[in-house]
Amino acid sequence: MMELQLNHLNQDEVLRYMGCPPEQADEATRAMVAQCEQELLKVIQPRWANRVFDITQEEDGVRLSCGLLLPGADLKQHLTGCSRVVLLCATLSAQADRLIRQAESGDMFRALALDCCATAAVEQICDQIEQHIQGEFPGCYFPFRFSPGYGDLPITLQGQLLQLLDAPRKIGLCASASHILTPRKSVTAFLGVAEQPIAQTIRSCLSCPAHNSCQYRKSGGHCGIS
Amino acid sequence: MEFLELLKGNQPVLLDGGMGTMLQAKGLPVGATPELVALEHPDWLREIHTAYLDAGSQIIYANTFGANREKLAHCGKTVAEIVPAAVSIAKEAAHGRGLVALDVGPIGQLLEPTGVLGFEQAVDIFRELIAAGAEAGADLIAIETMTDLQEARAALLAAKETCSLPVLVTMTYEATGRTFLGCSPACAALTLEGMGADAIGVNCSLGPREMPPLVEELLQWTNLPIVLKPNAGLPHPDGSGYDITPEEFASSLASLADMGVKVFGGCCGTTPEYIKLLHQHLSQKQVKEVPRHVPAAVCSGTQVVPIDRVRVIGERINPTGKKLMKEALKKGDIDYMLNQALEQMEAGADILDVNVGLPEIDEAAMMVRTVKALQGITDAPLQLDSTDPEVLSGALRIYCGKAIVNSVNGEDSTMDAILPLVKKYGAAVVGLTLDQNGIPKSAQARFDVASHILERALSYGIRKEDVYIDCLTLTVSAEQAGAAQTLVALRRVKEELGLKTVLGVSNISFGLPARPLVNQNFLTMAMSAGLDLPIINPNVDAMMAAVRCYHLLTNVDEDARDFIAAYGNATVSTSITSAGTSSAASTGSTKSLGDIVVSGLKGEAGEATRLLLETTDPMDIIDQILIPALDKVGADFEQNKVFLPQLIQSAGAAQAAFEVIRQRLSQTEGESASRGVVVLATVKGDIHDIGKNIVKVLLENYGFQVVDLGKDVDPNAVVEAVKQYNAPLVGLSALMTTTLKSMAETISMLHEAGLPCKIMVGGAVLTPDYAKQIEADFYAKDAKESVDIAKTIIG
Repeated sequence: MMELQLNHLNQDEVLRYMGCPPEQADEATRAMVAQCEQELLKVIQPRWANRVFDITQEEDGVRLSCGLLLPGADLKQHLTGCSRVVLLCATLSAQADRLIRQAESGDMFRALALDCCATAAVEQICDQIEQHIQGEFPGCYFPFRFSPGYGDLPITLQGQLLQLLDAPRKIGLCASASHILTPRKSVTAFLGVAEQPIAQTIRSCLSCPAHNSCQYRKSGGHCGIS
Repeated sequence: MEFLELLKGNQPVLLDGGMGTMLQAKGLPVGATPELVALEHPDWLREIHTAYLDAGSQIIYANTFGANREKLAHCGKTVAEIVPAAVSIAKEAAHGRGLVALDVGPIGQLLEPTGVLGFEQAVDIFRELIAAGAEAGADLIAIETMTDLQEARAALLAAKETCSLPVLVTMTYEATGRTFLGCSPACAALTLEGMGADAIGVNCSLGPREMPPLVEELLQWTNLPIVLKPNAGLPHPDGSGYDITPEEFASSLASLADMGVKVFGGCCGTTPEYIKLLHQHLSQKQVKEVPRHVPAAVCSGTQVVPIDRVRVIGERINPTGKKLMKEALKKGDIDYMLNQALEQMEAGADILDVNVGLPEIDEAAMMVRTVKALQGITDAPLQLDSTDPEVLSGALRIYCGKAIVNSVNGEDSTMDAILPLVKKYGAAVVGLTLDQNGIPKSAQARFDVASHILERALSYGIRKEDVYIDCLTLTVSAEQAGAAQTLVALRRVKEELGLKTVLGVSNISFGLPARPLVNQNFLTMAMSAGLDLPIINPNVDAMMAAVRCYHLLTNVDEDARDFIAAYGNATVSTSITSAGTSSAASTGSTKSLGDIVVSGLKGEAGEATRLLLETTDPMDIIDQILIPALDKVGADFEQNKVFLPQLIQSAGAAQAAFEVIRQRLSQTEGESASRGVVVLATVKGDIHDIGKNIVKVLLENYGFQVVDLGKDVDPNAVVEAVKQYNAPLVGLSALMTTTLKSMAETISMLHEAGLPCKIMVGGAVLTPDYAKQIEADFYAKDAKESVDIAKTIIG
């Protein structure tokens, strides 16, 4: 299993998650992000797990070779041209949650910065995992990774996906009764594998971890990244 | 032979090996529910159990690892269907050749605070499983593969409260020697032995090679028999098995009998072949008798504090004589307590005393709430401070670790009410040297009370190491001869009874000038007399300095490391300083308070406010400076001139200013004025509450009293809070599509209750349309807008 190494965070990305265009961030905000980056990287213990499945396209969605149907039109569309999918999960571990909780009782500015640093951290970890997985499928093509909650892929799948990965035992990642991943700073995702070139490789709002809570989107705009 | 009989003597005890591994070999698909095998392929289980018994297993685990109602929910079968079937199959297979353990694995959801599952919910889930297993005739309960000590406690408590079967508890650790949730073998050992487990140890985890350091740690912290049931090493990346051969597994695991390990078995990847070889190796072994002495210690779920030197108990979470703390308790403001905790930890406290007793509040409920919140943010062990058995019982139940109960005294009725709780939950206890006749004057009489307390505690099965004696500090200005008596009694308790000692120090100087000097010197004298656990305000550096100097001068602080770390760059003062407010070192700033708030300079806001208060009325500062400044930032935020980080920084600066004003008002007037109450909650099932917390800070800035119910809040609790505080406005937050239904449910319950309050809602997935659909009165798109709504409703 590849060891995850995270030595720095993409601070501009952290600022965007905080609702602040990087070019307009003041010095105090940048300093806080830099401080929180260090604090967070010290406590997290990133872990991950993955598993490869053959897939078949069905009328109602995509079926994994283990029998589980992933319902909805969006993932099905997204995996067009893919014959396999890698299911992966990753977590920063409970220590990240604890650090954020500590900050929340006294200093919301620091809490917001830590929370957004953690979101950026788990994304960067997923990027590393994705890169590693891509290396194991030479000559193949990959659409961007797709998580429950994107489009019409329901988050009610979380528990079953974690079971398929034996994630509660292997990395301590569980889903709550309302299908929230705990520890909180965690991700499950599908990475399609295609033998031929495909179109869906570009990152968009749909694949952004902030897409639900994004202040730019709420006001009808865009953060400018693509 | 019974399990407890097997645990006696020097013969190793042999458990079975992996179940999942064997089921997969029989054809169980990955991802299927293994517990269903009891109904669908009972023959598989019979064959597996028989194979292990043939290999030499004396105890086999029934196939009930995940047979709890939460894990079974999706498969359409109940605990009552699965558990009796699985236990019966194991019993038939054992047929007098071995014992059957009810296998109890994790629920599959994380408990609070990392997850959402409540502790009592967890106890109840385990209780159902354990009752079914005991009823079906299991010989013992095997709780295994735990990563959260709190979940292991829930299962152990359920076992103890449901049946009288022996209980074996094993947890799973990583190469770091900790579980995923940060629990060490030491924390597990102190806590689980305290709560009455019969054998404890390690399962799953890594392979046998990684066991020795875990065993060493366990030996240091428990007197119980030690159990090892490791994996067959690490799995091959391609899923083709594990990297340790049966022979290597058996020989290296069996050799640990020489370290004192008593019970052996295998977990993932092990098969009857592994167990057969293990049996052969163990048949030539005797378990080595290792002398053990578990020292006095307390722990949280993640940190052990041995009482092997002076350990500071922080006294600040206690309303006695503290007006702001009283107000916080009345308002249910948990953050106040949490900040007190963090501040004391920062200053060097090892243990935190928690006292929330106030006549006008529900102490029992507040204690549970406070202990839960503290556990979410600090690793420090807690001292639960109350004389009410009901309060202590609730707090001990929820406390994850080995706590200190503060306190009992020499009165038999008090001890008979509280010591059983101390025993049940495995705590340590403080005994005050007073009784029905009051505080004895002489050292001899106090020593006698201490002896009586010790005797009584021992009769309840409490270890001597867990009894701490408080010889009581009397105010020296009232009774000057008293100090010496306290110290004489303390020295005798320590030397003659061999007990750890505790003392509240600050009371000594009441009514005198220069109190810190008196306190510091008395503390030093007490430490020299043998004081282990001073209860002090660690934010007063003079007190921490006394402790650090004592450790330096008694050669406890090796190479003066702690001392130099604390004072290497400091000028020492004996004045009272608060550790949390030292950052306001910005004298000479010419900025006005308004500019400071607009610029979000939290560090300068407090000092600027203090200066202004010398010349300006507090209410004028609020109305003419702080509110206009916040309004300006709010308007800039709406126009995208500033962004969320700046808005929050300004709010933080304003908060620091309000804190100073509040302190001033609490000295001069009665209650501080509030514009009105807003109840805030993140709805049931949802644990994302950062947005709600931002709203809270902003509302408080504008003078609203916020009753913050936290996250994952039951709809009923919202209704009750609105009633209790007569709140005109409620704010609800939800961040997940799956928890919007809880929001709708909460709103409809508020409407049903006929309460006149208005409801505003917000959160990532909400839209104005959806807000209307679930009959909320307002949709707030961000924190700023929630303030505007509050202003409209409350004024």
